[in-house]
Amino acid sequence: MSEDGSAFLELDGITKKFGSFTAVRDISLKIREGEFFTLVGPSGSGKTTMIRMLVGMERPTGGEMRLQGKVLNDVPANKRPTCMVFQSLALFPHKSVGENIEFSLKIAGVDPIRRRRRAEELLAQLRLPVEYYDKGVNQCSGGERQRIALARALAFDPQILFFDEPLSALDFRLRKTLEKELKDIHKETGKTFVYITHSLEEAMVMSDRIAIMRDGGIVQVGSPQEIYNRPVNKFVAQFMGEVNTIAVEKASARTVRATADGSTFQVPGMPAGFETGFLIIRPEVMKIGKAAEKLKNKVKGVVFNDYALGSRIQYQVRSDARDEHWLVERLQDDPYEGHVDDKVTIGWQPADSILVSE
Amino acid sequence: MSASANDQVSWLRQPGVLAALPAAIFLLLGFAGPLVMVFGYSFMPARSFSLLQAPTLENYVSVVSESYYISFAWSVSLAALTVLLLFPICYPVAYGMARLFGKWANLVTVLIAVPLLISENIRLFGWVLVLVKNGILDGSLQTLFGASASGPLYSVPAIVLGLVYVYLPFMLFPLVIGISMVPDTLKEAASDLGASRWQIFREIELPLSMPGILIGGILTFILALGSLAESKILGGQAIVMIADDIESAFTFAQNWPKGSVLSVLLIGLSGLIVFALFRRIDLDQIIGRR
Amino acid sequence: MSASQSSRTTRSLIVIWTVTVIAFLYIPMVAVALASFSKQRYFRFPISRWTTEWYTKTFESLSVRDLLWTSLSVAALVTVFSVLLAFFGALAFARYDWKGRKLYQRLVLLPIFFPQAVLGLALLLWFSVLDVTTSWQTAVFAHMIWIVPIVILIMSIQVYSFDPALEEAAFDLGATRWQVLREVTLPILSPGIISGGTFAFLLSWGNFPLSLFTTGADQTVPEWLYAKMVSGYTPMVPTLGTLTMSGAAILILVIYLVWMALGARRRARMATNDE
Repeated sequence: MSEDGSAFLELDGITKKFGSFTAVRDISLKIREGEFFTLVGPSGSGKTTMIRMLVGMERPTGGEMRLQGKVLNDVPANKRPTCMVFQSLALFPHKSVGENIEFSLKIAGVDPIRRRRRAEELLAQLRLPVEYYDKGVNQCSGGERQRIALARALAFDPQILFFDEPLSALDFRLRKTLEKELKDIHKETGKTFVYITHSLEEAMVMSDRIAIMRDGGIVQVGSPQEIYNRPVNKFVAQFMGEVNTIAVEKASARTVRATADGSTFQVPGMPAGFETGFLIIRPEVMKIGKAAEKLKNKVKGVVFNDYALGSRIQYQVRSDARDEHWLVERLQDDPYEGHVDDKVTIGWQPADSILVSE
Repeated sequence: MSASANDQVSWLRQPGVLAALPAAIFLLLGFAGPLVMVFGYSFMPARSFSLLQAPTLENYVSVVSESYYISFAWSVSLAALTVLLLFPICYPVAYGMARLFGKWANLVTVLIAVPLLISENIRLFGWVLVLVKNGILDGSLQTLFGASASGPLYSVPAIVLGLVYVYLPFMLFPLVIGISMVPDTLKEAASDLGASRWQIFREIELPLSMPGILIGGILTFILALGSLAESKILGGQAIVMIADDIESAFTFAQNWPKGSVLSVLLIGLSGLIVFALFRRIDLDQIIGRR
Repeated sequence: MSASQSSRTTRSLIVIWTVTVIAFLYIPMVAVALASFSKQRYFRFPISRWTTEWYTKTFESLSVRDLLWTSLSVAALVTVFSVLLAFFGALAFARYDWKGRKLYQRLVLLPIFFPQAVLGLALLLWFSVLDVTTSWQTAVFAHMIWIVPIVILIMSIQVYSFDPALEEAAFDLGATRWQVLREVTLPILSPGIISGGTFAFLLSWGNFPLSLFTTGADQTVPEWLYAKMVSGYTPMVPTLGTLTMSGAAILILVIYLVWMALGARRRARMATNDE
């Protein structure tokens, strides 16, 4: 990253309208050199439109994008020093692995010998056998195709690599492997990566910083830790995964009252100007049974059911205070001592509360 | 019952085989049968009307030694010329239909398909009315400029016009399918990797739409090769194409073996080209895509 | 990219070119229609005196009635038989997986690529060897050799987009083979059947090279037109030509509207199901 934190790629009020529909509204962002930056959002949040503008396949209807101070808006995709890995990968089916990787160099008029040397270099870097040079791309496996697409994008040494959800079509285990591999390649090449995905989990694994998008705008920008620990609103908190969300209002400087049944809970502090909002507690900080008895914030209920989630077990607890079930998670090797349909106490430390106003 | 007989019975019971049978039997009777018979006649002595005589190659020898190569040459060159003219004429239209016209593409398709459903005779006769002396072209030129354009009818260019006109849709529609088989993302990817419009065309669109181009080109070539009406109606006596020769051998000359030899040669030439095409192409992929 | 990056000039050039090509396709038909209204015995342009008398004469002509009846009978029978054969042919082509399918696909399409005049002559020989007297009935057979493969091709397009799981679901719910065909397969494939039938009718109606050699003493409209064009021109040629063109145009329009209505109903139904 640049020492002074100055912007490598800067977006200034970027807006995209399709007729009366605004897909992207007034986005300003500074992406640093060498950073792994991820735009996360549900479908329809405008992230795909955003990346298509960044690559040059759509033109913004307002605002400016600058790469190292140079305005990019009117530069067509084939003249930008950036490159994208497509969701479908868009490997050319009539060309071999090698021809795919070399494509941009052929276009630029590089001579065949140097092209081939570069392609073989990239095959090695991406841990693909050098014999793959002559293989057809349709004969390669999903993970291999992924690496070929990445090699093709790296071939002409672009200043920024964009990724349009390239892992979304893969099965879970391969996706997990490739997420880490991608992060390693980011480290090896030192290039700026801009990634979009609908999975915050995926973004967390790889990114230096994350921007969360919703309805064409940005909701929060920060490191994975910041987003995990201090979500700015209910949307971000829930986007992360299952959480307990309770509608509350301010009761005193250190307590909030649930709007549903009036029970009060202690919180470590109150955001400035907080009146009403939501109390958010992650399932993994919730305690159940004996461990909950001595806590300041607790609720009585009945165990509705239990669910094995791999390394953890989730318990859902029904109480009169809420319509929804409470979610409590414990490690698989440390299960709750009671049974389904038992009466039980659940609770949490005030310090584990997250309070958001919207 | 032996194992292979069992296999055959179970093969026959597949729904696919059962569904294929009616059309297959029909075409065996109405298409394969006559062709085999024509093939048989080509080895019968000249002017015989029976298939039961000693086979001979004399018809092949006489066809090769006579001047039939001229009509073959005319047919092949006019068919090739038709393909060469039709490709540049159709490509922009096909590109528009596959990429640009959106919901208008359906209307364009209908407008281009409708003439196919009107007798070729009537349409070619329309061209006669346009090209004939004192016809629409000549008459308009006389009225507007006092110049005369008599004479375009009954000439080789008039035949070429007729071939281009009649077979245009057969080139166009396969091209549309071929072009729409190229995914947009591949072109975007190429552009992203630095390719210019021309480079995208040459490196991506052209090779990937090749199945459509090949089908269109070969379909047009073969149809034009065996065409009869264009040269008869628009060409007058200007030249003789091979289908003309075949017809006169069968009808006026009443020489079935000679007509059969000419047919076998024409069929052989066309069949060779079609099989070469089909070997390279997966029909499921082309027709199945929408 | 296609739309956004193709420059405006390229787009308008393509549009202009397309319009030109379509106009080119319709020039001869306009010429025929014009000629049918010209009073002169031999066509001259510009037309000096207009008339509709050729239409009256055509309608009154008994021989024209015979021609139309022959053409109509041939086309109607070809349509019915072709659709029947091609429906199953298309299922074999595109719906079922069976050993030999690839070969079947290629062989069944061969007649489309075949020079029709040569096919007609071969059939003439075939009929005479089998000692069948040629008449309009043999022409039905001849037309079908060329038209069945085309209808198979057209229907296959629809069959490819047909989800076999729908048939399996119906079986699973207790339907017999016949009920599956009637309740699921036929209704879903109906657009393909309609367009296949339309093509069959019109291609038979307009066919000349096959009819020429296989109708024997009977005569279809295209044959008569050809005979009169070559020798014995009468203004009834463009008149009858215009009439058959209009008939075809009306039929296409009707089918197109039916098609659109069916499509709209389907879309409406799917839209409500989505809710």
